Amino acid sequence: MSKEKILTKKDCRQAARRWLIGISTFNYETQLAPSYAFSVYPLLRKMYPDDEDFKASLLNAMKYYNTMPWISPFVMGAALGIEDEGGVDSLEAVNNFKVGIMGPLAGIGDTIGWAMIPTIFGSIAASMGMQGNPLGIFLWAAFTFAFLAVRILEVEWGYNMGINVVTKLGKQITVFTEACSVLGLTVVGALIASVVNLKTGLTFTNGDVVMEVQGLIDGVMPRLLPVVAVGLMYFFMNKKKVKMTHMILIIIVLSWIGAATGIFTA
Amino acid sequence: MTVIQIVLITLIAYWKMTDTVTLQLFAFNTIVCGWLVGLVMGDPATGLYIGATMQLMSMGVVAVGGSSMPDYPVAAIIATAIACSTGRGMEAGLAIGIPVAMLGVNFDVIYKIFNGFLMHKEMSLIENGKFASFLRLVKVSPVFYGLCSALPVFLCVAVGPTVVNAVLDFMPAWFTTGLSIAGGVLPGVGMAMLLMYMPLSKYWSFLIIGFVLTAYLGVPVLGVGAVGLAAAYEVYKKEMRAATAPAGAVSSLGDLEDE
Repeated sequence: MSKEKILTKKDCRQAARRWLIGISTFNYETQLAPSYAFSVYPLLRKMYPDDEDFKASLLNAMKYYNTMPWISPFVMGAALGIEDEGGVDSLEAVNNFKVGIMGPLAGIGDTIGWAMIPTIFGSIAASMGMQGNPLGIFLWAAFTFAFLAVRILEVEWGYNMGINVVTKLGKQITVFTEACSVLGLTVVGALIASVVNLKTGLTFTNGDVVMEVQGLIDGVMPRLLPVVAVGLMYFFMNKKKVKMTHMILIIIVLSWIGAATGIFTA
Repeated sequence: MTVIQIVLITLIAYWKMTDTVTLQLFAFNTIVCGWLVGLVMGDPATGLYIGATMQLMSMGVVAVGGSSMPDYPVAAIIATAIACSTGRGMEAGLAIGIPVAMLGVNFDVIYKIFNGFLMHKEMSLIENGKFASFLRLVKVSPVFYGLCSALPVFLCVAVGPTVVNAVLDFMPAWFTTGLSIAGGVLPGVGMAMLLMYMPLSKYWSFLIIGFVLTAYLGVPVLGVGAVGLAAAYEVYKKEMRAATAPAGAVSSLGDLEDE
């Protein structure tokens, strides 16, 4: 069943280099999706000579995506591996797979890359800097430059893994897709509780005691407001077909009103 | 400050922000800003000292998953420039640098909203088959992101801190607070979109499991991922059995399990 592979090592490295566009395209709705689509663009074009297939795949690449940028090339490579093997029929599997692993990998990546490494190298550089010695800066930079090589190679590693997964599964790829979506939904549940933030600043007086509504809500159900917010957005976009752009404008205006009246607080 | 110094310092601010959102070779490296501005001002030791101080202040403040945080590199750049040019020491520099760094966060939120509008335009370009225009438009984001830092720094070092304070005073509290509230809620739009693509009606129970693990029990996303993986494996085994076994065999197996 294994079909001829289209992508080469050279293609993988090209995608890795293009990923250096990084988090500059970050937006609140699809987060790093434009960077992702930009990075895989030439590879998808090579895989799909047909314009309609290419369009479907590129739109798939434009779906919500966010993970730690230094680990992202690996996710990208694995997704490309699945897609190279499965073609346009595997788009659903590709997206479910991305959603399923981006969260957990971001968890590792954020902890190591954004908390541990800056703390270690930052404290070294700062203590040297206090004494007027800039060497610590270069020590830190030497590490990040060296790691750049890993970031370039990750796409190939991921790609080989993605190919293996699909070759083993063969026709049962839809089963794999379902399993990925179970993983994905579990992770999205955790993301709603951790990434989305909304608090109320309302208080009311009960005798002499000032009660904070947020405290009461937390007692009933922590992160209730973010869930309600996402639920409402889902309802209006899915059932009422409210456009995403309108949704965003509504949210910004409501946030301003909420800030002015004290209903919401940052 | 000479014109050349102002230009160079603005360029440093632009470069630092651009690096942070693209190559990330100096991500979270605040001290390098103090040092470079110190070199421009002819006093690298003071720059290093201020940069190191800001580095220590910024540690532990880590933006995860795209949240905005005070722009410490901007604070280091301005603090060093002010301290070296006025000769009034680090305290005077920080007194101005920190408020401007807070201003920088607002620019960051606004830029991410701007990126959202670019993204919609990009989607419609793809839908209309204008692939080359799509590529060109994506390249806009990294080019102008650096302005989020360069603009406040330029205003501060060229026109003076009074202007920055005036801008900060002019912005009503509801405007800046509202923007940060929106910054907290807007990722939810992405989540809602994602749920529209996923088999929510079939597997909604796993969404609840993931939520409860994090909201009530505080399990980090990696732990939730492990639970999700376990659940996914069970679903995989079950579905695999159903897919490989002939229809009759499945029902008889089901009968056996019922007994």
